[in-house]
Amino acid sequence: MWPRTPARIGVDGVMARMLPLHVTPGMPRVSPVTTAFSPTFDSASALAAAPATCRHCGEACTGLLLANAHGTFCCAGCAAVYALLQEHGLADFYTCAPDGVGPRPDDGPASSSRFAVLDDALTSAQFLDGGDGTWRYARFTVPAIHCASCLWLLERLWRLEPGVGTCDVDLGRRTVRIAFRPGETTLRRIAERMTALGYAPALDPDHRPAMPASRRVLYTKIGVAAFAAGNMMLFSIPRYANGAPLESVWQRLFDALNVLLAVPVLFYAAQDFLVAAWRALRVRHITLDVPVALGLLVLFGRSLFDILTGRGAGFLDAFAGLVLFLLIGRLFQQVAFDRIAFDRTARSFLPLSVHVASATGTALRAIDDLTPGDVMMLRPGEVVPADASVEGDGVVDLAFVTGEQAPVDVRLGEVVVAGARVVGAPLRLRVVRTVSHSRLASLWQASSGAHKPPPRLTTLATRFGQAFTVVALGLAVAGFMAWWPDVGTGAQVATAVLIIACPCALTLAAPVTLGTAAGCLGRAGVFLKTPAVALDLARVDTVVFDKTGTLTRAEAPAIVDLQELDDAQWDIVRRLAGVSTHPVSRALAGSSPVDSDVRHVHERAGAGIVGEVAGIRVALGTAPFVERVTGRRLSAVAGRTYASVADRAGWLTSTTPARPGTTSMIAAVSQVAETWLVSGDHDGTMAHWRPLFSDRQRFQQAPEDKQRFVAQLQAGGRHVLMIGDGLNDAAALGSASVGIAVADHAACLVPACDVVVSGEALQWLPEVLQYARRASRVIALCLAVSVLYNLVGLYLALTGALTPLVTAILMPVSSLTIVGLSTGLMRIRVPRFPS
Amino acid sequence: VTVIVWLIAAGALVAGGFMAAFVWAVRSGQFDDTTSPAIAVLHDDPVVPPRDTDREGSLHA
Repeated sequence: MWPRTPARIGVDGVMARMLPLHVTPGMPRVSPVTTAFSPTFDSASALAAAPATCRHCGEACTGLLLANAHGTFCCAGCAAVYALLQEHGLADFYTCAPDGVGPRPDDGPASSSRFAVLDDALTSAQFLDGGDGTWRYARFTVPAIHCASCLWLLERLWRLEPGVGTCDVDLGRRTVRIAFRPGETTLRRIAERMTALGYAPALDPDHRPAMPASRRVLYTKIGVAAFAAGNMMLFSIPRYANGAPLESVWQRLFDALNVLLAVPVLFYAAQDFLVAAWRALRVRHITLDVPVALGLLVLFGRSLFDILTGRGAGFLDAFAGLVLFLLIGRLFQQVAFDRIAFDRTARSFLPLSVHVASATGTALRAIDDLTPGDVMMLRPGEVVPADASVEGDGVVDLAFVTGEQAPVDVRLGEVVVAGARVVGAPLRLRVVRTVSHSRLASLWQASSGAHKPPPRLTTLATRFGQAFTVVALGLAVAGFMAWWPDVGTGAQVATAVLIIACPCALTLAAPVTLGTAAGCLGRAGVFLKTPAVALDLARVDTVVFDKTGTLTRAEAPAIVDLQELDDAQWDIVRRLAGVSTHPVSRALAGSSPVDSDVRHVHERAGAGIVGEVAGIRVALGTAPFVERVTGRRLSAVAGRTYASVADRAGWLTSTTPARPGTTSMIAAVSQVAETWLVSGDHDGTMAHWRPLFSDRQRFQQAPEDKQRFVAQLQAGGRHVLMIGDGLNDAAALGSASVGIAVADHAACLVPACDVVVSGEALQWLPEVLQYARRASRVIALCLAVSVLYNLVGLYLALTGALTPLVTAILMPVSSLTIVGLSTGLMRIRVPRFPS
Repeated sequence: VTVIVWLIAAGALVAGGFMAAFVWAVRSGQFDDTTSPAIAVLHDDPVVPPRDTDREGSLHA
C-alpha cells in the first residue's frame, strides 16, 4: 500500500503546501501577531531565538516567533489550530502524514464578513448538493487539501463543529462533501470553522467543484463494450474451434446473440466516434474520426449482411473488441489533474465583495456592483478589485500585475490598478473604472484572446485522417474494380479493405503514449493541462524565461553589497534589522537572536524601519523613507536599500538568488533551444545573467511587451515555450505555443497556462523537454508498426483471404502491440526527479 | 445438446447481473475518487485506554 501512496502525496505536498489564497510569494508575511508587536519591541520575552520551525505548519519561522507550552509557532493562527486539535484529541493529525504538518490558517484579511455571502440562499445553493429529511450535503473546493493528514482531520470535522455529519474528502480534486443538519449549523459556520483550521473553502466561480459526470459515462461505455466483447468471443469460439460448420440451428442462435450484443456497442459505446465523425463531415472537414467511424460502420454493416444472408458469422466479435480498445484509448486521454486549475479567470484573484463607504457608515458590496465614484475601504492584505484612485497616502504591492518585487508608495490621487494589494495600513480608494473595464480584466482578455497556434496533435490527426480516408477509399474502389465483373467478391474485398484499414491502432498510439507521458510527468511535479501538450513541448525551439519568481525565488533575497558604512556600523544596522520581518531585513540580520536593546522601533511596511539600537538612532529602508526620518538628502539609485546610523548613511543591494540548479538547467536548455530572459524588473541584474543569456535579455518589459515579444518570435517561425509565474506573464503564457507557469506555494494563483510546474521541478526542464521528444518519437514508431499491420491486413483483404477468424486475431493483436509499445517505452527510464 | 441453451441462459443471467452491478457502482460514484478511500482506510483511531479496567480485565492494562 504505502510504497505507492506516499510518492503521490509527496508530489502533491510540493504543489499544495501553498500559502492561503491571500498570501503571495514575494510578500512579507504580515500576520496579526506581527502587526500587534511591531510598534514597540519591549515585549521581547515572547520571542525565542531564530531559526525554528512552526510546530503546526512546519515552515521556518522567519518573522516573529510565538512560544507557549505547546512549542513554537509562526503565527497566532497556527498556535490556535494546534491548541484546538490537542483539546479535541485530534493530535494524531501530525502523525498520519509523512511530513506531519498542517496548512497555515488564513492570516490575510480574515474578517467575519468573508463568508457572509453564504447566508444568502442563492449563493449557498450553488454549494448544496442534494439532501434528505435530516441531512443536507454541501460540496466545497478546498485548495489547501494536500495529504493524508488533511483527509484525516476533515473527516473528523464533526468532532469540532456540532451539526456536521460525514465529510467525504476527495484528495485528487481537493473537494469535500459535507453532510450537515440545517437546524444545528449553517454553511457559513462550517466554512468559518474550516477556515480556522487552515482549510478555507474557495468561493469564487473558478473553484466550483465540478461533478465528475463525464467519466462515469466513459466507464459505463467501457463496461458495456467489455461485456459485449467478452460474451461475443465466447459465442464465436464454437464456430472457430469446431473444425466443421455448426448445425445451422446453433449457428443461428449464436449469430442472433452476437447481433443482440453488438447493437448497444454500436449505438451506445461507439456513439462518440460516430458523432465526432459526423460533426467533422458536416463542416466539410476530415479528421481521424472519419475513417474510424467509417471502419466501424462497414464492420457492423458487413457482419449484419453476412449473418442475414447466411454467408457467414461476420466480424462482430472483432467489432466489439475494436470499440473496447478505442474506448480504452479515450481513458488514457483523460489523464487530467483536476486539482489544478489551468484556466483561471481574473476573477479568482479578486475578493467577492469589498467594504464601501455609504451614507450610514460602511456596507459590503459585491465587486460587480462597484461603480466609478464609490469609495472602497481596504484593509492590509486585501486586493484592489477595480482601478481606483487613492484617497490618502499608502503602500501597495504590484507583484501580481507588474512582477515588480518591492511594494511601492502611492500618493493622494494616484490611480492604482486592479490586482494591487494593500500593504501596511488600511487604504481608502475611489473607484475610477468598473471591474470589467479594469486593466486586470483587459490583461486577462489579452491572454485568452491571444493568437495561439493550434495544438500539434490536432493538426497531425487531421492530416493523418485525410490521408487515411483517401488511401482506404481508393484501395477499396481499386479492389472492387479488380474483381469485376464478380460483384459479390468485389464487394466483399472492398468492405474487407475498409474494415482492415480502420486506423484503430493509429488512434490508439497518440492518446496512450501522451496519456502515459502526462501521468509520469505529473508524478514528477510537471502537470500538463491535456496530454496533447506533450507533443507541442516536443518541438519547442525557443524558451523565454521570466525572471522574478520564475528563475529566482522572491522570498529569500541575499545581500550582495554593503557600502559607505564600516563593519561596526553595519552590525548596528543588523541589530535593528533583526526585529523586522521584511525579507531584506531578514537576509541582513541573518540568524542573530532578537536583540533586547533595540527600542522605539517603528516599522512602515513597504517603506522601512527606524529605531534606537543601544541609544543610537538607526534607519533602514527605501531612500524616501530614510530621507524622511533622518532629514538628510540621499542620491537615490534604483534597486538600493539605504541605511543610516547616527549621522552616517550607506546603502546595500540585495539580489534574489536563483533557484537551485538554475544555472545548469539553462545551460542544458540552451543546447537544444534558444533561450531568452524577459523581465518586468529593472536591469540591475543584467550583468549577473550575462554568462547564461549573453545579450538575449530584455528588462522593464510590461506584460504587453512580453506578449508582443513572444508573438514576434512566433511570427519568425519559432515554437516558443514561455515560462512565467504571475499575472504579468499571463498574456505571454497565453500566446506562446506552450505556456508553463511556476507555482511555488500558491497553486491557486497560477495564471492561465498549459503546464503547471512546481518550483522544485523547474530545474528538470531539460529532462522534461527530452521526455516530450521521446513521446513524439514513440508515436512515430507506433504509427510505423500499425501501418505494417495494416499492410498485412490489406494484402489479405485484397486477395479475399480476410476471414472472420483472421480479423478476430489480427485486430486485437495490432491494438495490443500499440498499447504495449507506447506504455512500455514511455515508462522505462522515466527521468527520475527526486522529490 | 439442449443443455447448451440452459448454459447460455445461466451464463447470460450471471454476466448480466455483474453488468448491472458495475453500472450501479459507476452511477453511485464509486469510481469517482480512486485515491482518497485507499488512504483514509489506513488511519487507525487512537487506542483509547479503557476507563473501566475492572470489566476489561488486565488485557489492556
